[in-house]
Amino acid sequence: MPEIHSSPAASRRAAWIGALNAKAPIHGTVTHERSVPFGRALAVETFRLGNGLRVLVCEDHSAPVVAYHTWYRVGSRHERVGKTGLAHLFEHLMFNETENMKAGELDRRLEEAGAESNAATWLDWTHYNIAVPKDRLPLVVRLEAERMRQLVLRDPQVTSEKEVVANERRYRVDDDVEGSVNELLWATAFQQHAYRWPTIGWMQDIEGFSTEDCRAFYDTFYAPNNATIVVVGDITERRVFELIVQAYGAIPPSTLPYEDVHPEPPQTAERRVEVHKPAATEKLVVGYHAPALGDFDHPALSLLSEVLFGGRASRVYRKLVRELEAAVDVSGSVGPFHDPGLFEVYASAREGKTALELLEALDGEIDRVCEGVVAEGEVDRAKARLELSLVGGLDTVDGKASTIGFYDTVLGRPAAAFERLDMTLALTTSDLLRVARRYLRRESRSVVLVHPQVQPSGASA
Amino acid sequence: VTESSPVANREPTVLVETSTALPLVAIVVAERTGAIDDPVGKEGLARLTGRLVRRTGAGLTTEELDERIDSLGAALGVDVGQSAATFQGAVIERSLDRFAELLVSVLSRPSLAEVELGKLQRETLADLVEARENDRDLGQRWFRRKLFEGHPYGRSVSGTASSIPAITPSDVLSQYKGSLTGTNLVFAFAGNITESRANAIARRIVEALPTGEPRTDALPEPTLLPGRRLVVVDKPDRTQTQIFIGCLGTHPHDDDHVALHVGNTILGGTFTARLMREVRSKRGWSYGAYSSLPYDRHRRGFSLWTFPKASDAAPCIALELSLLEKWWKDGVTPRELAWAKRYLVRSHAFAVDTASKRVGQALDETLYGLPPGYHRDYLEHVRAVTLEQVNTAIRARITPEDLVVSVVGTASDILEPIRGVIPRVSSVDVVPFDSDA
Repeated sequence: MPEIHSSPAASRRAAWIGALNAKAPIHGTVTHERSVPFGRALAVETFRLGNGLRVLVCEDHSAPVVAYHTWYRVGSRHERVGKTGLAHLFEHLMFNETENMKAGELDRRLEEAGAESNAATWLDWTHYNIAVPKDRLPLVVRLEAERMRQLVLRDPQVTSEKEVVANERRYRVDDDVEGSVNELLWATAFQQHAYRWPTIGWMQDIEGFSTEDCRAFYDTFYAPNNATIVVVGDITERRVFELIVQAYGAIPPSTLPYEDVHPEPPQTAERRVEVHKPAATEKLVVGYHAPALGDFDHPALSLLSEVLFGGRASRVYRKLVRELEAAVDVSGSVGPFHDPGLFEVYASAREGKTALELLEALDGEIDRVCEGVVAEGEVDRAKARLELSLVGGLDTVDGKASTIGFYDTVLGRPAAAFERLDMTLALTTSDLLRVARRYLRRESRSVVLVHPQVQPSGASA
Repeated sequence: VTESSPVANREPTVLVETSTALPLVAIVVAERTGAIDDPVGKEGLARLTGRLVRRTGAGLTTEELDERIDSLGAALGVDVGQSAATFQGAVIERSLDRFAELLVSVLSRPSLAEVELGKLQRETLADLVEARENDRDLGQRWFRRKLFEGHPYGRSVSGTASSIPAITPSDVLSQYKGSLTGTNLVFAFAGNITESRANAIARRIVEALPTGEPRTDALPEPTLLPGRRLVVVDKPDRTQTQIFIGCLGTHPHDDDHVALHVGNTILGGTFTARLMREVRSKRGWSYGAYSSLPYDRHRRGFSLWTFPKASDAAPCIALELSLLEKWWKDGVTPRELAWAKRYLVRSHAFAVDTASKRVGQALDETLYGLPPGYHRDYLEHVRAVTLEQVNTAIRARITPEDLVVSVVGTASDILEPIRGVIPRVSSVDVVPFDSDA
C-alpha cells in the first residue's frame, strides 16, 4: 500500500529513503518508524535497518559536533553464575583489535579525530559513547560498525584486560567502602534475580575468564538486532543514513537467545547484615525493593525520594545532618532498571554516632511519610528540582544522546524523560502516600550496618 | 562572549554568552579570593566564609533559603579554590527574575549567624574525617603539601582539624567584607539571557555591596625543594596504591606554556598517550595512568597519577620514573607531535560547544590573569609549536632529580620495595592516613 506523506519534510525523507533503498546492501534497507518530540525545540526520528538495527536521529545544530552512541541490550543481568562481569570485561575488549585495526589503533584514531569517547556497562545494557567534530562522523560510523562484527579476540589482550578490570575492581570496590557495601546490599536483597551480582563481577570470575568465553559472548550479543544507535548533533538524517547503510548494511542479524530470567520472589522479612570495614566512621545502607523504571509507580517513588533526600532542604538531610548532627551526608535514589530494583539509602555517620542511630532516625522519617504528612510545598520543591535536573543534563549533544538512548534501551521510548516529567508534574501528595506505604516497608528491605575496623594506631616512622 | 563594564565607577566585568537552546540560565559570581588568602592557622577560612554566605543570606534561615532556591527550579552552590571563589547558580528561565532578586539578597545580606557558623564548623570537621576514606584524595593532598612546602598552594582549601575550630565569627566577617565587594567581583552569564538583562542583574548585585578594593595577589612564585622526596601515607589493609609523582609545572605567562602543554599531552594527556600505553595497555597494572599540568595565577604542579595493586606499586613507580626520564632526556618525536597537534586542534570543538563552556573560558582569563586572548589564540599557538620548542620546554621546566613521590598504601607492604626503586631518594616520610594534613 502506498505511504501517504503529510508534510514536505516527510516527502523529502521518503525520497532519500527510496533512493538509498534502491541500492542498499542486503540487510541495509531503511524504514522510518516515527517522529517523537524531544523537549520544546527538538525531535527524535526513529528508523530501523533491514537487519534490525534501531537508529535514532536528533538534529541539533547548536554546535558543530555530533554524538554517536551505540547501546547494546546486554548487561550483567544476561550473565550467569560463575561468569559474572563478562559484559563489563567485554566493554573493555571492544577497544582492542579488529580485523582491520591492530590493538590500540581504534582509540588512537578516535583521539586523532578529536573525539571524546567512553563506555559504560550496567545491569541492563552496555553503552559506547563517542562525540566528534561533525566532519569526522564518517570515521566513527566506520569504526563502530567494524567492532560490531569484526572484533578479534586473542589471549594476550584478554589476559591483559582481565588484569586492568581486576585493578578497576580494587579501585571501585575492594578498597572503597561505599562500593564494597553497595555490592553487599544487592547480594543480600536479591536471591534469585541476576541483579544480585555486581556489574564488575566477582574477582574470582574476572580472573577465570577465557578467550573462548569472550568470543561466545560476542557472537551471542553483539549484533545489529540487539543494538540501538543514537545520533545527535549538527548533521542531517539523510547524511547519517548514507553512512550507516554503507557501514552496517551488510551485517546480518543474529538469533538472540531468550533470557533465562528469574523474577525475584517477594521479600517477607527484613534482612540485616553487619560488617567491619576500614572505614573512618559507621555507615548505614538500606535497600527497599522498588518498582521497575517502566512501572506506573516509579515516577511517584522517585519524587518521594526527592522529598526525602533531594538536597539540603530534604527531610532526611535536615533530620540526620542538620538537626541531629548524626550524619556527614545522606543520599537516596530509586534504581532506573528494566526489572524491579532497589530504593537505596546511604548514610555516613559522624564520629561517635552509630549506624543504628542513623537507622532509627531514618525510620522516624519514613514513618512520617507513611502517615501522610508530606506538604504540598515539599512536593512542589521536589518537582522543581527534577525539572532542573532534566534540563541541565541536556546541555551537550552527549547529554541529549545519553538521555535518548537510555530511555529507549530500557523503556523503548526515546523521549520518555519528558513523558516522565509530565507525569511527575501531575503527581499529588496522595500519590506519594500510596508509594510510601506500598514500598517503604520494613519487611521488604535489606539493611547493611558498617562498623569501622579496629585499626592499629599510627604508622611506623 | 560579550564583555562590558556597566556600572560607572565600580567597573565589574560582566561576561555574557547567550544561547536559546535550553530554557536555562547559568550565573557565576566570582570573587578574587581563595585559600591563598587564608591566614596561617586559619586554613579553610575562605571556604567556610563562602559556604556561610550561601547558608545565611537574604535574612533567611538555611532551611528557608534552600527551600526558596529549590522551589524556583534553581540551584546555588559555592566553590572555593586556591585563587578564586565562585557562587554558581542555575535556574529555569521562567524563574530568572525571582532568582536574581534572591541572589542579590544572599550576597549582600548574609547574617553570618554564629549558630550556623558553629554548625558548619562541626560539619566541616566531620567531612575531614570522612575524607580519610578517599585514598586518591589523601595522595593528592600529601603530594600538594610536599610539592608546595612553605607556600600557600600547599595548604588545604578545606582547612584542617586544628584550623577550623580556630576560625572565629570576626574572622568570617572580615573575610566577607574584604572579598565580597563590588570591585572584587567578576560576573559570567550563559544561556537564555540577553546582555542587557545580565548587565542589569550584575548592576543590582554591585549596587547592593560596598565598593571595596580589588584584592591584590602578592603571592611569591612557589619554589621546589631539591632532591627526590618520598612520602608514604600509611593506611591499613590496602590492596591497591595511589601514586602521584611530580614537580613544578607551568605558568600561563611562560613563553613555553603551550609547548609544555603539548608535551604533556604526549606523555600522559590522553587515553593512548605513553603512560597509558605502557602502564595499562601493555602491562594491565592500573586502570588509569595520566599526567596533568593545571594552570592558575601562579605556577602550579605537574604530576603523574596511577593506581596499581600493592604488589605492582614498586615496578610501576620504576616504570613511570623511567618514562619520565626518557621523555625529559629524549623528548618527543615528530610523529608524536603531529598527532598531538591534530588531537588538540580537533578536540577543541568540545571546549567551546556550549555557552557555559565559552563563557567559562572568558571567566578564567579574567579571574586568573591569563594572557590576553589566551583561549582565543589557543589553536593558533598549538599549530605553531615546533618540535624543538616542545623538547626545550620539557627540559627547562621538568626536574626529574627534584621530585615528590606520594604513595597511599599499607607501609609495611610497600615501603621497602618502593624505596628500592627510587634512585637517589633524598628523604622518606611515612605519615599516618589520619594525621592532620
